[in-house]
Amino acid sequence: MYLFLLRRVGLMLLTALSLSFIVFCLTNLAPNLEKLARTEGSVRMTDDDVANWVIQNGHGGSMVSRYGEWLGVVPGWVLTDEKGVTRGRCLQGGLTVESAPRFCGIFQGNWGTSTVFREPVLKTVTNKLAATGWLMFWVMMVMVPTALVLGVLSGMREGSRTDRVLSTFAIASTATPEYVSGVILIAFLGSATAGISPVLSSWGWIEGRTLFQGTATSAMDKITFWNFALPVITIALYGIGYIARMTRASMTEVMTQQYIRTARLKGVSFRQIIIKHALRNALIAPFTVIMLQFPWLLNGVVIVETLFNYKGFGWTLVQAAGNNDIQLLLGCSVVAVFVVLITQLISDIGYVFLNPRIRLS
Amino acid sequence: MKDMMNTGPAVHAAAIMYAEEARAGLMDRREFLSRATALGVTAPVAYGLLGLAAPAEAQAAKVGGTLRVGMEVKAQKDPRTADWPHIANVYRGWLEYLIQYNPDGTFEGRLLESWEANADATEYTLKVRPGVTWNNGDAFTADDVVRMFTRWTDASVEGNAMASRFLGLVDEATKSLREGSVVKVDDLTVVLKMSLSDVAVVANLADYPAAVVHSSFVDGSDPSANPIGTGPYLPKEVAVGQRAILARNADHAWWGGVAPLDEIHYIDFGTDPAAMVALAGSDEIDCNYESTGEFITVLDGLGWNKLEAVTASTIVMRMNSASSDLYKEKAVRQAIQKAVDPKVVLELGYNGLGTTAENHHACPVHPEYAQIPAQTIDPAGLKPALEAAGLADAEFELISLDDGWEAASTDAVGAQLRDAGMNIKRTVMPGSTFWNDWAKYPFSSTTWNHRPLAVQNMSLAYTSTGSWNETGMANPEFDAAMARALALADADARRTEMATLETILQDEGYIIQPFWRSLYRHAREGVNIDMHPSFEHHHYKWSIA
Repeated sequence: MYLFLLRRVGLMLLTALSLSFIVFCLTNLAPNLEKLARTEGSVRMTDDDVANWVIQNGHGGSMVSRYGEWLGVVPGWVLTDEKGVTRGRCLQGGLTVESAPRFCGIFQGNWGTSTVFREPVLKTVTNKLAATGWLMFWVMMVMVPTALVLGVLSGMREGSRTDRVLSTFAIASTATPEYVSGVILIAFLGSATAGISPVLSSWGWIEGRTLFQGTATSAMDKITFWNFALPVITIALYGIGYIARMTRASMTEVMTQQYIRTARLKGVSFRQIIIKHALRNALIAPFTVIMLQFPWLLNGVVIVETLFNYKGFGWTLVQAAGNNDIQLLLGCSVVAVFVVLITQLISDIGYVFLNPRIRLS
Repeated sequence: MKDMMNTGPAVHAAAIMYAEEARAGLMDRREFLSRATALGVTAPVAYGLLGLAAPAEAQAAKVGGTLRVGMEVKAQKDPRTADWPHIANVYRGWLEYLIQYNPDGTFEGRLLESWEANADATEYTLKVRPGVTWNNGDAFTADDVVRMFTRWTDASVEGNAMASRFLGLVDEATKSLREGSVVKVDDLTVVLKMSLSDVAVVANLADYPAAVVHSSFVDGSDPSANPIGTGPYLPKEVAVGQRAILARNADHAWWGGVAPLDEIHYIDFGTDPAAMVALAGSDEIDCNYESTGEFITVLDGLGWNKLEAVTASTIVMRMNSASSDLYKEKAVRQAIQKAVDPKVVLELGYNGLGTTAENHHACPVHPEYAQIPAQTIDPAGLKPALEAAGLADAEFELISLDDGWEAASTDAVGAQLRDAGMNIKRTVMPGSTFWNDWAKYPFSSTTWNHRPLAVQNMSLAYTSTGSWNETGMANPEFDAAMARALALADADARRTEMATLETILQDEGYIIQPFWRSLYRHAREGVNIDMHPSFEHHHYKWSIA
C-alpha cells in the first residue's frame, strides 16, 4: 500500500517535471519571447531592442539552465543594463543583490509573477482554482446522481422502452460538445431576445428579462441558481450521457449474472434484487469513469468558462496562453498535473474498497 | 481686442473671426466651438459669440448609487504610456487632466482655470485653477504643471505617447524638455514658450495619456498602486481581465464638489459584442462601453437608450512597406486602394452607420478639412497592376480582429479584392494576440479613435517619425507639409497645407480608409451618462436617477 502510494507520488512528480519542461520549451521559443517582449515593452521596439529586452529580462542563455532557475536548482539571473539598472529573477519586492536569496524557483516557493494579471502566479492560480472548484463541485453534484439513476434505470431491463428512451438521451447528450450545448442553452434560456425568456417576460412570469443569466461572471462573487445553472448544466450534460452509458453497460452485465437469476428464482422482489445485489457490483466500473471525469472536467472548463465568462482556471489558461504568460502557464500546468494525478490516486484507492478482488501492490 | 468685449478677459482675435464665419454659415457650430475653445475662449463665451446661451449644466443630479459598466479591464500603465482609452477610463477616477475635451467639441479647463494663446500660437499662458488639492493634502500648483511637461517630453521613456506631442518644447539634442520653454511665472501661472507654432497643444493636453500624476509617482509604475490624484474617486480594486471598482474618496475634498455616483464598477466580459447584449438582457450591466454594428439595433430592441457621438473614428486597412516587400511599389498599393468601394464596406461592415471617407484620414468634422477631387473606384485596374509588378500569383494576407465590425469591414475589403482578381487570404486573430503586433502586420486593419484635429492623427500615423506609423510611409514632402501645417494656428490657413497632405496620403495608396463611424453606446433607462467621441468617461457627470 505505502509502496504503491510512494510510487504514485514519484510518478506524479516525474510527470509534473516533464510536462512543465515541455511547456517551458514551448513558451520559450524565440517567436513567443518576441511576442512577450512586444507586449511587455512596447509594440514599436526594433528587432535589436527586442533581442536586447529578451536578454535583459532573463530569457537569454540556455533553455535548460533557465528551466533550472525556474525550478530553483540554478541560481537566479542578475543583470545590469546600460542605464545601470540591476534586475534579477530574485530581486522582486525591493530586494537588493545582497539581500535577495540566490535561488528562487518553485522549490523555494517562488512561482514567479504573471505578466497578464500583474500579480504572483500562486495567488492567481489558487484564486482561480477555487472558482473552478465550485464549478466542478456543482457539476459533480448534478452529473453523478443523474447519470447513475439514468444508467441504472436503463440497464435494469435491457431493451425495454425506458432503456431505449434513456439511451437515446444519453447518446445525444454525450455526442453534443460543450460549445454547442452551451450556445443552445444560452439562446434558449438565457437570452433576452431568443428562446423562452421573451415569452415568459411578456406573460409577466419572470421579473427580469431573462430566465437564467447568460454569463456566470456574477457567480465569482455570489453563486446563485440563476447565474450558475447554465454553465453547470452545460458541462454536466456531456458527462451525464457518458457515465450513464457506462453504468448501463455495467448494469446489464450484472443483471445477466447467475446470482441475480438465482435470487429471482428464490422469489426475491425485483426492487430488492436491484438494491441489494446488483447495484454495488454495477457501480465499480462507473466509479472509475467518474474519477476519470476530473481530467475531462479540467478540459471542459476551458471552453465553458470562456463561453460564460466565468473567471476560473480554464479562463486563466486561455488568457495565459493568448498572451504567452510563461510563469502562469507553467504554474497552471503543474497544478493541472497534480489535480489529475491526485484524482486518479483516489480512484485507484477507492477501487480497492469497492472491489475486494483487487490489491494495490 | 479689449474694446470688443465688455467684460471678462480678452478674446482671441481668431475666435471673433471664427464667430463671424459661423454666423455667416461658413462654419458649423461644432467646428466653431472646437476651434474657439482651443484658443482659450471659455465655452460660455464661445456660445455667447454665436449669440447663443451655453447649455445649462445638468440639473442637480441625485447623489448615490453604483453604476455597472461593461468594459475590458486592461493592465494599468504609467499614464503617458497608456495605449488604450480603457486604461485611462480607470485612472480617470483619481487622476485629472489640465484640459478636457467635451462631447460637443469644446475644450474645458479642469486643473487649468483658463489659457490663452498669442497670435501665432507660439506662446500659451496657462492659469492654474486655485484651490485644487491632491488627495494626500498637497496643494496643486504651477510646479506640478511644469513637472508634468518634463514628464511628457521625455522621449527616452519607451512608449511615451506624449513625447512627440510638444515638439516646440523639446530640445532636439537631449530629447527632453528644452531649458526655459516652460516657465513658472507665479504659483498659479505657467507660460509655454515654443520654438514653433503648434495648434494641437490644447487638444494634446486633453488626450487620454495626459493625465496629471503626483510628484511621488514612480515612473513606469502602476498608477493604481499608490493612487494619489486630484480626482473624486479612488480605485478599490483593479483586477486585470476581470473588473475595476472606483469608489468615491470620502476623505478628499474634491474641488469640483460632490461626484454623484458612490461607486463605478467596470466589469470585463471580453471583446465579444454578443456578450454585451446577453448582459444587457440579464441586467448585469447598466451601460456598455460601445455598441457596434448589428448589435445597435438589438440593444435598441431591448428598450435601452441609444447615446450617439458624431466622430472622426475610423478603420484603416493599411499596407506596410517596411515589413513586407509585396507593398513596396506605389502602383500596386494604388491599384489595391482603388479596387475597394467604400460604400460597400460601410454597408456590409458597419450597417451604414456612418459616412463614406476618401482614403486620406481627414474628416469633414475636422476644422481644417479640405475638399479634394474624388477618386474613381477601379476594380478592373487591380489585376493588370499586379501582373505588371509580377505579383499576379503572389498570396496576400489580410489580418484583422476576430469579431465585430472590424472583422466584417475587413471581410468586405477582402472580398472586393478577391473579386478584383487578387489572391488574398483572410486571417483573424483574437484581441489578446492581435494587438501585440498591430503596427507590424504587412496588411491589416487598425481602428483609429477620433481626435479633434485632422493633423493629430496624420502626424501620429503617417509622418516618418510618427510614433504610431504602421505603414512604413516616409514621404519627405508629406513630413514638410505636416511641419508647416502644425505651425498654422488658423485652421483656414492650414487648409491649403491640408489639401497637400490629403493628396499625398491618398496618392501613396498605403491606406484604404472606407468610412467614418458614428459611435454609439447604450444605457438602461434612468442612467445619466453620455457618449464621448474619444471614449472618455467623465465620471463626475454621471448619475443614476
